[in-house]
Amino acid sequence: MTAVHQFVPALLPRDATGDHTRALRDAFRAQGWESDIYVEAAHDELSHEARYFERYPENARPGDVLLYQVGTSSPVADFLLGRPEPLVLDYHNITPESFYVGWEEHTATKVALAHRQVAALAPRAVLGIADSAFNARELELMGCHHTAVVPILVELDVDTYEVDQRELSRLTELHQGATVLLFVGRISPNKAHEHLVEALWMYRHLYDPDACLHLVGPLVTPDYADAVFAFAAELGLADAVRHGEGLTAGELAAWYEDADVFVCLSQHEGFCIPLLEAMRAGTPIVALDAGAVGETMADAGILLPTARPATVAAAVDRIRSDDVLAGRLVESGRRRLRDFTSERTARRFVEVLAEVAAIDRGVA
Amino acid sequence: MPTSPASPSADTPDAALSAVDPTAEVAERIRYLDEVMAEIDAEVRRRRASGDLPAGLERELDELFLEFSPVGLQGRARLRETLSLVDGSAYIDIAVPTESNKAVGAYIKRVIRKALGWYMGFIVAQVVKFAWSVSRMLHVVVDHIEILEATVDANRSVDLPTALLPSAVPGSAWWAPAAVDALRSAPGRVVVGDCGDGSLVEALIAEGIDAYGVDPSDIALEPALMRGVDVRGEGVLHHLDVVATEALAGVALTGSVQWLRPIERERLIELLSTRLVVDGIVVLHSTSPESWAASTSPVVRDLAPGRPLHAETWAHLLVASGFSVSTVLAGGGDRSLAHVTAGSADADTLNAAIDTINARLLGVSEYLVVAVRVR
Repeated sequence: MTAVHQFVPALLPRDATGDHTRALRDAFRAQGWESDIYVEAAHDELSHEARYFERYPENARPGDVLLYQVGTSSPVADFLLGRPEPLVLDYHNITPESFYVGWEEHTATKVALAHRQVAALAPRAVLGIADSAFNARELELMGCHHTAVVPILVELDVDTYEVDQRELSRLTELHQGATVLLFVGRISPNKAHEHLVEALWMYRHLYDPDACLHLVGPLVTPDYADAVFAFAAELGLADAVRHGEGLTAGELAAWYEDADVFVCLSQHEGFCIPLLEAMRAGTPIVALDAGAVGETMADAGILLPTARPATVAAAVDRIRSDDVLAGRLVESGRRRLRDFTSERTARRFVEVLAEVAAIDRGVA
Repeated sequence: MPTSPASPSADTPDAALSAVDPTAEVAERIRYLDEVMAEIDAEVRRRRASGDLPAGLERELDELFLEFSPVGLQGRARLRETLSLVDGSAYIDIAVPTESNKAVGAYIKRVIRKALGWYMGFIVAQVVKFAWSVSRMLHVVVDHIEILEATVDANRSVDLPTALLPSAVPGSAWWAPAAVDALRSAPGRVVVGDCGDGSLVEALIAEGIDAYGVDPSDIALEPALMRGVDVRGEGVLHHLDVVATEALAGVALTGSVQWLRPIERERLIELLSTRLVVDGIVVLHSTSPESWAASTSPVVRDLAPGRPLHAETWAHLLVASGFSVSTVLAGGGDRSLAHVTAGSADADTLNAAIDTINARLLGVSEYLVVAVRVR
């Protein structure tokens, strides 16, 4: 019997990697395979679904395939380096340390270690699965011989999409019909929130003096977040930049629903799930062509070659003043979203891992 | 140029998931978005031309953010900021927090803290002593650096009076056609330093070259901005400092490159050899030292931090930094004295003297050096 066991540094609820890992396990089991999740740490809510990674040798069997969900540094990587089973990396990208230098040295050190760990594992992996061609290239540069591009498994069903109407009313009352720019993502230097603030300032200067910027995401780099909000205040935008975090799925849906344009000026993205969330919500997208953003978005938004605020502001205004364009972008988004259905992605994961397992058994 | 939306590469192992299929409908959508992007670019140019976007405004926004950023703190401020971080972390508190959600937890923590206090205290006292010694040493170093900086500051030169500098209309200069010719084969973006009115940038763009300009003078840039040319209000050295490694395929230099101080000139050449791709092209225009001495305003000559070099010297410096010099053109007017007519008694002697004077003091007034990065 085929067995694909996953290893992940931390198994967390309401977390993209955590949800992906659990959905994959379910897909593998639905296929009749054995599949367990081994972790360094698990949230209390999910501890019954995970085993401590050092317990794996007790359960190891010939023919096992090990799938490592790579996203941060972890002793799990060192453990896997010493295992004889076929190893598959599922690479979700690691932010380059240069983004954190000066802001948060311990995070810079941590991501540098994560890079070193992946670089050590990559040549030994029988396959590197990446959620974008951009990530696949990074894996190849780190020495991975075989790669496959399979998106992250994320539930983005348009039919089950529910908006928290109370939250939506609250937001609508806050901005009184002014243009709302939205970005969703952790507040971290690689996301370039300062460029979003600059774009808002420019948009208010040139087009709509009442426009506001909504930022949703955890404050994972506090010094950077402080700098972004102080910068906004210095530009007279303290009341125009609003922050939300810890939102329920319905509340998050309300923030998307409430926004006029989703603006992403990240300088480094390995995939960018919020682009898909914006597509699901029917929010037109303006995004900087950086990392994997272009390939994830395809033709479902305006892809900018620069984050210069005047260009971003002009793009936002173009969408605001042209219903045909906005409609076409939303339609393209819905079409693009169909490339990322969980059924399709799960099927693809099963295909590539079945191939690895077959090769390992010598039947391919 | 606007960019078409990227799509997953067709040769990726998972091309089945690609959004792009070979249909006319997809091509039409991409073409439509390209048109939208072109209109957005045109809108930005219109805004610049109308004065809604003064030169340097976007740069000022970036610089303002840097004031809130530990990354952006420069020089003395950065040193002092970092030093304060060292000072802040040099003290170690051994009073471990003992709060707990459970009363027994707090009690146990207090017992452990008390029991280990004598041991931890001894170790921590030595660590703190070491940290303070390091901190003290860093203070001494920073003090010395600040004294050195003050000394260097005292030697800074004043800004040159703009009105006395030659007007910056590089697009109509004698060397412009040769510069355009040389940069035509540049395999990517080209920046024009001290681009002035943007005329050379426009000439390059007209030839299909992906060019933009930089100039530290907002006044000089005004005509370019009025015409919506892609120019930025910054000096070429500063600009090259911030562009990525091998981001440029060509650099055209004129204006202030002639009077850079030696250390700046070294920095410029170092930047050229890293910011340009291999096969990238440098086009450098300068006044000859003789012409500089004879025809430049005495105020500019006296206040300029450096002096123009001979074409041979630039060629030497570029070759030493991994460039191959392909062309050296002389031009810009010949101030040579004419020979006296043969037949007069001392014609040969006079003409020999004239040749010497021409070579040492007069001759052609400007030159253009074209070099290609070979390593």
